[in-house]
Amino acid sequence: MDNFWLIVSSAIILGIGIISIPLLPSKIKAFVNFLFVLLVAITTSIPAINALLGNPMDISLAGSAFFGNIPIRIDALSAWFILIINLTCINGAFYGIGYMKPYLEQKANLSLHWTLFLIFQTSMLWVCMLQHSLAFLIAWEMMSLSSLFLVIFEHEKKETLKAGVNYMVQMHIGVAFLTVAFIGVYFSQGSFDFLAISDYFGTNYNAWLFLLFFVGFGIKAGFIPLHSWLPHAHPAAPSHISGVMSGVIVKLGIYGILRVALMLKSELLLIGESVLIISILTGIFGILNASVHRDFKKMLAYCTIENIGIIGAGIGLFLIGSAFNNVILMVIGLSGALLHTLNHSLFKSLLFFSVGSVYQQTHTRDMEKLGGLIHQMPQTAALFLIGALAIGGLPPLNGFISEFLIYTGFLEGINTIGLTHSTLMILSLASLAFIGGLSLLTFTKTFGTVFLGNPRQQLHNPPTEVSLWMRAPQYFIIAIMLSIGLLPQFYFSITLQLIQSVLPESSMADLTKFTPTVTLMGNVGKYSMLFLIMLVFIYLLRNYFVKLHLVQENTTWGCGYVAPNVHMQYTGKSFSKSLGKLMDIVVKEKKKYTEIEVGEIFPQTRNHNSHFVDFFENTIFDKATKQLLKFLDYFQFIQNGKVQMYVIYGIFFILMVFFGTLFNLI
Amino acid sequence: MISLVLIVLTSLFFMGIVIRTKSIASGRKGPGLFQPMKDVIRLWKKGAVYSKTTSFIFQIAPSIYFASIIMAILVIPFCQHKGIISFNGDFVFFAYVLAFGKFFSIIGALDTGSSFEGMGASREALYSMLAEPAFFILMGSFALYTGHTSFHEIFVSLHFGSYISYGLGALATFVLVMIAMIENSRMPVDDPKTHLELTMVHEVMILDNSGFDLGLILYGTNLKFAMYGALIANFFTGSFTILIGILIFLAVQIIFAITVGVLESFSARFRMGNNAQFIFTLTSISILIFFGVLLIMGKFV
Repeated sequence: MDNFWLIVSSAIILGIGIISIPLLPSKIKAFVNFLFVLLVAITTSIPAINALLGNPMDISLAGSAFFGNIPIRIDALSAWFILIINLTCINGAFYGIGYMKPYLEQKANLSLHWTLFLIFQTSMLWVCMLQHSLAFLIAWEMMSLSSLFLVIFEHEKKETLKAGVNYMVQMHIGVAFLTVAFIGVYFSQGSFDFLAISDYFGTNYNAWLFLLFFVGFGIKAGFIPLHSWLPHAHPAAPSHISGVMSGVIVKLGIYGILRVALMLKSELLLIGESVLIISILTGIFGILNASVHRDFKKMLAYCTIENIGIIGAGIGLFLIGSAFNNVILMVIGLSGALLHTLNHSLFKSLLFFSVGSVYQQTHTRDMEKLGGLIHQMPQTAALFLIGALAIGGLPPLNGFISEFLIYTGFLEGINTIGLTHSTLMILSLASLAFIGGLSLLTFTKTFGTVFLGNPRQQLHNPPTEVSLWMRAPQYFIIAIMLSIGLLPQFYFSITLQLIQSVLPESSMADLTKFTPTVTLMGNVGKYSMLFLIMLVFIYLLRNYFVKLHLVQENTTWGCGYVAPNVHMQYTGKSFSKSLGKLMDIVVKEKKKYTEIEVGEIFPQTRNHNSHFVDFFENTIFDKATKQLLKFLDYFQFIQNGKVQMYVIYGIFFILMVFFGTLFNLI
Repeated sequence: MISLVLIVLTSLFFMGIVIRTKSIASGRKGPGLFQPMKDVIRLWKKGAVYSKTTSFIFQIAPSIYFASIIMAILVIPFCQHKGIISFNGDFVFFAYVLAFGKFFSIIGALDTGSSFEGMGASREALYSMLAEPAFFILMGSFALYTGHTSFHEIFVSLHFGSYISYGLGALATFVLVMIAMIENSRMPVDDPKTHLELTMVHEVMILDNSGFDLGLILYGTNLKFAMYGALIANFFTGSFTILIGILIFLAVQIIFAITVGVLESFSARFRMGNNAQFIFTLTSISILIFFGVLLIMGKFV
């Protein structure tokens, strides 16, 4: 079938889905939704795969005189993101079948949820295809709104609703920036086509427009200080939604930034350095916060911020490379960013799904209330563990591949460009290592607290392993992750071709220049395989020797103390306490308690409450908002609630218009 | 291949030298050089006791820790010869493979549900995290200096010319020795001979390990020491032939072991709260090395 008709049929499938899902019985809604998601994914993936293979799609829909034609383009960059969206949405929809089982009696709510899921997927796909400012903004808005309603599925909870409103407001601030940027381009170039942006960059100062786009898209992606919606929205949403949102919706921010970055013509060095520095700070900030929080979904949300930082570092490398005309730096940076986008969407959805399983069984997101779940949910524990290893960038899993590429980029940068930049590069290199170390701490903490040791609290229902419906998509994700980890050269070559087709210059014509890098990636995969084999071999050897001798079971050694109880276990909080103390400039702890007074002979029971607050949200945004509200209070006399006054305003306005026209003032 | 054989050989007596140095320093005769290795072999022949709280993580953790060290050793080059694994940026692989082992040793400790082991695990995670940037800046500086990014190529093309470069070599050796001490939880940051669980780092993490697993962990520590010793030796053996190389290698390892012994005999462990700052200063020394490299390359005006 023709590409165009495939796209049209995806829209038709969406229409049928929206109409039919509400009519079905609750039990099969989720499953039917999954089928529709799969169909949409198939119809849109075919043109995407064609584009990756070198046949990009370019269709123009006839528009009006004002709008101009609406171009639908799928180039290799869009294709990459389309495939990531489809993969993650398929997994999310499949996982959702099992995850939403306990909510079966909320019939209307479920209909809304699953239809919106379908709209959500399709709007994200359109965001990647439409290259017409207005149409793009409409798709972008649809995506934000549908995800908003997906987030507030449990709308009866006050916190969820609050997180939803926060999300909505922040998304619209982002849209405002994007709108300004697009309008600016329209007034200067007279076209809504994305190609006009490229023309604009050719003739005007680049940095300001890029800044507008960066802020607009950066809010979606979660660069600091624009990240503050993430730690609220992710915990509030159902887990399959968090997985998809963290997996792809933040990546569309990255898509937007990349789309614009590829069109930049000048000021590349300034922009590249800024992006790199912001990204590295984002990474450190994200993972530092992740390490101290006790809500495991909030922890994962901060971890998303960290990974956005790593992706951004790749983009920064790419821009710096273009500024110096250093093709190797450009390609390694960009392919690192693209691969990390794919990798992060895989392991982050895996992690969200596995903690979703924990949440479904225990009904708490507080890791200090859990413990020892590995005995009841061994498979979920193993799935989470693999996700944790991957997100820490450890070989032989996929996270290592993209981080290794970015490390290679930094090393390349150290050697090839001047003094100031090698300093920047080496500091980024060290920061990336620092981020890696911190994520090791964060995930050993989370895994250890949630899954290992003894249960810290009696749960109402004893947790059991979740159904195969929920586990299957996670195993599928792991299979893909391993394929990236062990055969990285294959994925790297795909990104190479992608980059070759999207870069405008002919500088990329010579792909053979990268044969050593492909071989290098092949070697990394090979050695990761060797590592895996060695792990298994030594374990088997050890098993053989252990079985030769007597094996006994006993209680944990309590250093001579014979009556330990579960509350003596090390908590997650104490695990990261020394780090928190060390970094208290960034991660601030707020405590609430009343001191025992001098004269208080019989102290009453009292509470001690401590939690970590977000630096930017607490010290900058909240204070700024407070000041703004204070200022706006001065104008409260206008909105005073008296109907008479409002009538007077109306009359005043009409009179103004009347006299204005009378004397030709307006 | 040569480096693997040499490192395994050194690991057999490395700890023996450390212990003998400490004995002599405290006026005792001390055990034979191969006593630590004999202890490990004795452990390998023993049965094991596992806590009822533990899960499969506790069973696999020591083997994975050990495998990660072996894997890291394969990356180490020797003289003009590449390690078994060698590619551009292999030191990143080296660091991350070790981190993989560390991940498992930490969750292995947490698996027992003991508060002491959690405490040790938390410290181990924190200290090794703080030491990472120092290692990467060090390697990045040498990558800048030599223009290469793999262990083998860096060490082969590293030649000392000016006074500054000798200074840099000394600083780099210092940083590597300190990283080795931190990674192996030895003296300035952790006292392996302490008698209170509350003040231990690595020792407390392996309280519940016994039998073959404990043997693996202990031998892993010996290997790790020899591995860092080999890394330091590589600074000096780069341009020599194998025979002289082997001699230098052994000399460096023995001096390294004696240094560890002397350090442990005559210094006290830092206060636990100050460790973090101390480890972080290593990063600033690494940055000093980086500036030194810039100086040599004439990139400073």
